[in-house]
Amino acid sequence: MTAVTMDAKTSSISIFTGRIAHVRAWAYLGMIAGLAAMAMFSGDGYVEDNFVFQMFSMQGVTWMAGGAVFGVAYAFATSARKFRAFRFSEILVPWLDGAVLMVALMGLYTLFEPSEAMISYEDQSNLFSGRIVMTMNIAFLFSALCYIAYLFAPDSFIGKLGTITAWTGVYAGGSALLLRWYESYLLMGGDIGHAPVSNLYEVFILLFCIISVVYLTLESRHKARGLGAFVMPIVAAGIFFAIWLESIGQSDIKPLVPALQSYWMKIHVPLNFVGYGSFAVACGAGMAWLVRNRVENRNPDSKLLAILPSLKQLDQLSYKAVAIGFPAFTLATILGAAWAAEAWGGYWSWDPKETWALIVWLVYGAYLHARFSHGLQGKTLAWWCVIGFVVTIFCFVGVNMYLSGLHSYGQLT
Amino acid sequence: MSFINQTFKPILNRLGSMPVAILLLVLLAVASVIGTVLQQNKEQADYLFQFGPTWYWTFRALGLFDMYHTWWFMTILGLLMFSLSACLIRNTPRFLKEMKSRKGTMSDNARKHIDYKFDLTFGSKDKAIAAIKSSLPDWKWMETKVGDTLWLRGDKGRFQKWGYILVHSAMLVILIGGGMSVQFGFRGNMAVPEGGKESEISFLNGTSTEYLKMPFEIRCDDFEINFFSTGAPSEFRSTLTIIEDGKEVMTSDIIVNEPLYYKGVRIYQASFGDGGSKVNLNLFRLTKKGNVDTATGQIYTQFQDPYSDVSLEFKDFRPYNIENMAAAGEPKDFKDMGPSVDFVIRGEGLTPVLVRSFMNPFMMDDANQGSFIMVSKTGDARDFESYSLGLDFSNPKEWELFQSFIRKMPAEVASSQEAEQRANLNAFRAALDEVYGEVRPDDLPMLGNRVIQALRVLPDMPWPFVPILEDYDQTYYTGLQLAKDPGMDVVWIGSGVLVLGLCIMFYIAHRKVWIKIEEEDGEVKLEVTGMSNRNPVAFEQEFEDLEQQIKDAYEQGVSS
Ligand code: HEM
Repeated sequence: MTAVTMDAKTSSISIFTGRIAHVRAWAYLGMIAGLAAMAMFSGDGYVEDNFVFQMFSMQGVTWMAGGAVFGVAYAFATSARKFRAFRFSEILVPWLDGAVLMVALMGLYTLFEPSEAMISYEDQSNLFSGRIVMTMNIAFLFSALCYIAYLFAPDSFIGKLGTITAWTGVYAGGSALLLRWYESYLLMGGDIGHAPVSNLYEVFILLFCIISVVYLTLESRHKARGLGAFVMPIVAAGIFFAIWLESIGQSDIKPLVPALQSYWMKIHVPLNFVGYGSFAVACGAGMAWLVRNRVENRNPDSKLLAILPSLKQLDQLSYKAVAIGFPAFTLATILGAAWAAEAWGGYWSWDPKETWALIVWLVYGAYLHARFSHGLQGKTLAWWCVIGFVVTIFCFVGVNMYLSGLHSYGQLT
Repeated sequence: MSFINQTFKPILNRLGSMPVAILLLVLLAVASVIGTVLQQNKEQADYLFQFGPTWYWTFRALGLFDMYHTWWFMTILGLLMFSLSACLIRNTPRFLKEMKSRKGTMSDNARKHIDYKFDLTFGSKDKAIAAIKSSLPDWKWMETKVGDTLWLRGDKGRFQKWGYILVHSAMLVILIGGGMSVQFGFRGNMAVPEGGKESEISFLNGTSTEYLKMPFEIRCDDFEINFFSTGAPSEFRSTLTIIEDGKEVMTSDIIVNEPLYYKGVRIYQASFGDGGSKVNLNLFRLTKKGNVDTATGQIYTQFQDPYSDVSLEFKDFRPYNIENMAAAGEPKDFKDMGPSVDFVIRGEGLTPVLVRSFMNPFMMDDANQGSFIMVSKTGDARDFESYSLGLDFSNPKEWELFQSFIRKMPAEVASSQEAEQRANLNAFRAALDEVYGEVRPDDLPMLGNRVIQALRVLPDMPWPFVPILEDYDQTYYTGLQLAKDPGMDVVWIGSGVLVLGLCIMFYIAHRKVWIKIEEEDGEVKLEVTGMSNRNPVAFEQEFEDLEQQIKDAYEQGVSS
């Protein structure tokens, strides 16, 4: 009863709030459950190389629709409850919308894929994903420029432009990766198809998208647009590195070595990058804190101060980012250990990559404790976030370049 | 008793304090770096060469070559365990009490120091209470009456402190599980040739290799590698049979990422190599007679030529050699060069070199370019250089033709270049007649080129014969890793609890609301105060919304 009148009262009906969001979220969840059920119980079972195609077949659509019906039924059964109970759905539904949009974009791109004769393993320059990645690069670079310009010329239009182009970059990057996944099945008769998280070039794209999504989420929740000038340049720097990787031929789709042919890879790698990406945002907030602190001391009436969030807010934002990254990184490391247990015979081998993951984890663990200890605050914590990210970068690029070990698949050659 | 209290309490307090915890975490991080910069568990000779004797012995004394098992590293881990226990012992009772006892009232003085508060005035007390409860439906409510004043206290996420307890006990459990793995488990390697049996594993312990006998034998029935068309391996598969007390207990296939489990021991596909393949080589003698002998051998054995002091030490055999034939920058072009055998060739006056001899001739665009070998002067496979031998040695007639041609070539120097060419051509024709008869070979022009190339290179060969792989019978060995790890399940349980605890700790805030309800002159006055132990930004929003929600809910309650 309350819910209905509440909805009626808010003059504009939004598909992102209230009962509509609730029904949509559960329809999505039902579809996901339907797909999971198809993988487990349908006649052919789960064949990895085939599953994407099965999803879009009549069978897949039937399972998804069935799931969606159950989801909607559940949503109606529970929607008599008070409107506050919809918060879960309201948080969830934009994410699922975004994911669906990305898949749809990917489907759209496949129409532009050049004919089979123009695609070969030997010469991958015609693949369409390359162009989408280029779009992503331009979007992110432009976004970084907008955010920096916004700091000095506090025009809200420029700031908005930064946000919009950052989102554009996220959708371009995410859908390009999905397309690359599809393309890997076009090469060599589908022999080498695999998820696009197998080499440094691919995970870099993933990292850009995750950094941006974590940042943009914090931006919209906390109205902290000034922070973009510190986070997006990190992405921009990464893009130059990725362009260099491409120029030395690291962007080719290559077959997976046997050790990587495991479903663990699809979970372990993206989760790790949720960690890395969040730590990058924490680093951005740390840098912003240090800059603002300096400006406040030297030039208290600078215009910058109106744009940048307050010191307390920045401190909170960097903690928030670590609070997203730390559990994800912990879980990723544990899953990595589970994979190692299955592939190498031991969950922990003190291999350089593992050890550096532990080091990163300890650095942020110590950071969390330092927050609770009175002697350390403000400046120390901001520096801790910045240095922590330097350690993170070493863990994720440096180890591959300078140290050898079991994780040498990512090696630059 | 008081002595114990006096001695241990301060130690416990000190160890369980935050600065010590931070110090231990940072110390552990810094110490871990050493072992990643200094490669662990290499050959001692390599270290000695790399660092020189002084540093080598210093590092060795500190255990830096097997750093993660040294007493001092273990001590840091042990101290961390103590510290964890100490802070659990100290904090758990306090947190449990905090979660249980809820204070229903709040003094005016305390309210002054809290940021989140607002006042409301309504007409009806019962409806106000109903409005509050419907605005925060899934909160836990408690009522306290003090005189005429009614206090409502609401809580959400009261069990948040369990996160702390779970996280820290989970870390303790993981460390204990790790300790159990090290103490009671083992891990080692064994190599089983196809058709062979093995029951002993070897592993490194500090600086020495040790062996351990398993309570069963493993027989490798078959080993197989599949390749992508780029030549990269796509799958390694071993068929293994476990034999216990002479009886075959089970047979199963293993591949990378899919181990076999038997009696608490996991058996993993770790590596592979040549298990002593049999090879036959033809030795084409560079003598007047030009006869051909067979060298028979096995990988890892040596062949001694009975007619000279030259020996071949067979190193490796490969059934495929897939190479990218394209020039740098061109689209890739993968080609299988066929089987090859690697051996080191030695003899008096010869520089020992590593040779890779191929069974098939080199084909380019369907044109036969003749056999070839690769030679590495350093003995390192990365330094292989290719040498074209001219003839196609896989075709016995070509060697015959070459020999016949040499014999028929005019011995004395011709008067002019023209005359020499004519004489050579005649000799070649005669040789062709002798070897092939009337039916000339199809690729005669190429054959001519090959013979000319052979004339150029063969006389310069440093060895008394040309060794060409002729036939083989391949066997692999499969490299297995065997591991028993009784601590593993403990670690997994700890890990699960750790993640659960972290989620509770980070994503659930303990939020509290106190509402003081007083009736005065027919009006009901509400004083609402809120508190959250984390995530103040989100709580601020939630708390701001609350005011409007209570008002709205009240009005609906009145109107209905
Ligand atoms: C490797 C071991 C450890 C891990 C993974 C760990 C993890 C954590 C995490 C994630 C937090 C939450 C921080 C936050 O709420 O933002 C925390 C808080 C805390 N940790 Fe640890 N910790 C470890 C070791 C220790 C040790 C050795 C101590 C001993 C002093 C300790 C004492 C505390 C205390 C007192 C808190 C604050 C709890 C609160 O008030 O909510 N931790 N720890």
